[in-house]
Amino acid sequence: MITIPYLTALTTYFSYGLLFAFGQFRDFFRKIFDWWQASNLQGYAPICLGLEDFYIRRLYLRIQDCFGRPIASAPDAWFDVVERYSNDYNKTLKRTEKKSRCLNLGSYNYLGFAAADEYCTPRVIDSLNRFSASTCSTRVDGGTTTLHKELEECVANFVGKPSAVVFGMGYVTNSAILPVVIGKGGLIISDSLNHNSIVNGARGSGATIRVFQHNTPSHLEKVLREQIAEGQPRTHRPWKKIIVVVEGIYSMEGELCKLPEIVAICKKYKAYVYLDEAHSIGAVGKTGRGVCELLGVDTADVDIMMGTFTKSFGSCGGYIAGSNELIQYLKYTCPAHLYATSISPPAAQQIISSIKVILGEDGSSRGAQKLARIRENSNFLRSELQKMGFEVLGDNDSPVMPIMLYNPAKIPAFSRECLKQNVAVVTVAFPATPLLLARARICISASHTKEDLLKALEVISQVGDLVGIKYFPAEPKKQLQPGKETIKLE
Amino acid sequence: MYVSAEPTTDLNKNTEWFTYPGVWSIYILFVFFSWLIVLSLLGTSPGTAWTIVHLSHFFVTYHFFHWKKGTPFADDQGIYNGLTWWEQIDNGKQLTRNRKFLTVVPLVLYLIASHTTNYLSPVLFLNTVAVVVLVVAKFPNMHKVRIFGINGDH
Repeated sequence: MITIPYLTALTTYFSYGLLFAFGQFRDFFRKIFDWWQASNLQGYAPICLGLEDFYIRRLYLRIQDCFGRPIASAPDAWFDVVERYSNDYNKTLKRTEKKSRCLNLGSYNYLGFAAADEYCTPRVIDSLNRFSASTCSTRVDGGTTTLHKELEECVANFVGKPSAVVFGMGYVTNSAILPVVIGKGGLIISDSLNHNSIVNGARGSGATIRVFQHNTPSHLEKVLREQIAEGQPRTHRPWKKIIVVVEGIYSMEGELCKLPEIVAICKKYKAYVYLDEAHSIGAVGKTGRGVCELLGVDTADVDIMMGTFTKSFGSCGGYIAGSNELIQYLKYTCPAHLYATSISPPAAQQIISSIKVILGEDGSSRGAQKLARIRENSNFLRSELQKMGFEVLGDNDSPVMPIMLYNPAKIPAFSRECLKQNVAVVTVAFPATPLLLARARICISASHTKEDLLKALEVISQVGDLVGIKYFPAEPKKQLQPGKETIKLE
Repeated sequence: MYVSAEPTTDLNKNTEWFTYPGVWSIYILFVFFSWLIVLSLLGTSPGTAWTIVHLSHFFVTYHFFHWKKGTPFADDQGIYNGLTWWEQIDNGKQLTRNRKFLTVVPLVLYLIASHTTNYLSPVLFLNTVAVVVLVVAKFPNMHKVRIFGINGDH
């Protein structure tokens, strides 16, 4: 639940109104100047209507240096950020040779596998030597190696489903699977804050799409009842299939899905459940098996479980896990399996090795340590930030914590000030989030040490004071009794 | 004082910002402050200032709500390219609270402008034309109607 101070809402609308007005003025004068100049189109139609890229030209490009910063090392807890400069007010950015070592609070490096790992990296290099960097083929032609078979078994085992299929890219997994499992005459009910890949897949499938209020099972029930009673549009025949799509952890809110209630409702109305665990697989749950383990939902109740390997496993690609019949069907029909190149063998080996580490099958307890560390780190940082007065979203145990910024001017201010003090954060604005609710999203990693977190807290607190984002009153600092050690965190 | 911002079910990023708390207040405040600015910069009588505010409000809102079509970003692949902003809000549902509010504001402005200019003849005509055009454009029957093909799709 996001609570905004009313004055902040008003000032945010005012700022956006001002930016919009300035953008419109500049576009108006640009149109007048261009009318005088000869056009170099030579009879071709312009590639985009002037109206379509208004947001990019007039708002995004002004603060372009806060997005898309190139990095020059592996995205570990500390990494090198390449410095850039611009001579024309951020319309074009040029890279320099200088790099600065920054604390990484933006990478999805939940379990610390993003940098070289003592168990995974030697095995990955072995498989690189044995299988080479690419299979150069689709899965059905010549691209299925023993590694791919092993990976699919490993993933199915880890997630708790009978079988799984693996694809080379996480985004494609959603957008190529949804058109295959449902078509015209079906109904997709998706959470209002679902990821763009799900929205694209749903639009591409041709099914009717309805949206329910984010994480509100009662509204889901209302929408289900209404839609089942009405049937298909115009013909009012019963729906061929109903799929409810939810995510495990929502990447912009850090909230966990209310999975038990949603699964209960779907069972009642006989709808299928599609769970996208991109951010939660490997990062939450006692043994890292995701949101089903954390919330106590039986994996047999979730019909299609999808996830990606980019976040907790330090690799790339996505998977779908389900019953044997479903996976067999997908292997015959899914275009990502039939026509797209299969996942790169070293990447597959990285996933297999990291799953072994998480489960403790490599003979050490590093997996359990990593899981405990990420939980402690997230809970510590979240509670400390909330004590300082920041508005931090997300549930406990979730490694994603967005800090609300709201005003459009605070986005570049926060980002640049933090970078000056060598802390790299990712700020997210419209259109990835609603207009009013811009935020800085912090992703905690198991490789962040306590000193890293304390430094992050210090810098964020300073920058927060400078930029003015401590919207809630700070809790008074607790002074322990004299004789015991006092921990000051400012 | 805090308000809670619940995420809406509106998928159209061009219009969902209008469902959050604070929009109505900021709209009214904008209009009021622009009246103050016109009054201080141009030094006219309050009535003339209200007329200027009313007419410029007419031009601005007609242009952005009922003339410009589509969305200012390309993410939605052009599904709203034939619809003006007025036709996009609330997913095309008519007579919602937002639409009723937006219809009332030009009427109230008209009343204030004509009252403060004492219903004098030339100015009253301009104000009336402005409010009639604006309110007719907001009728539910005018949804997706393009008179004589003006502002129609290519």
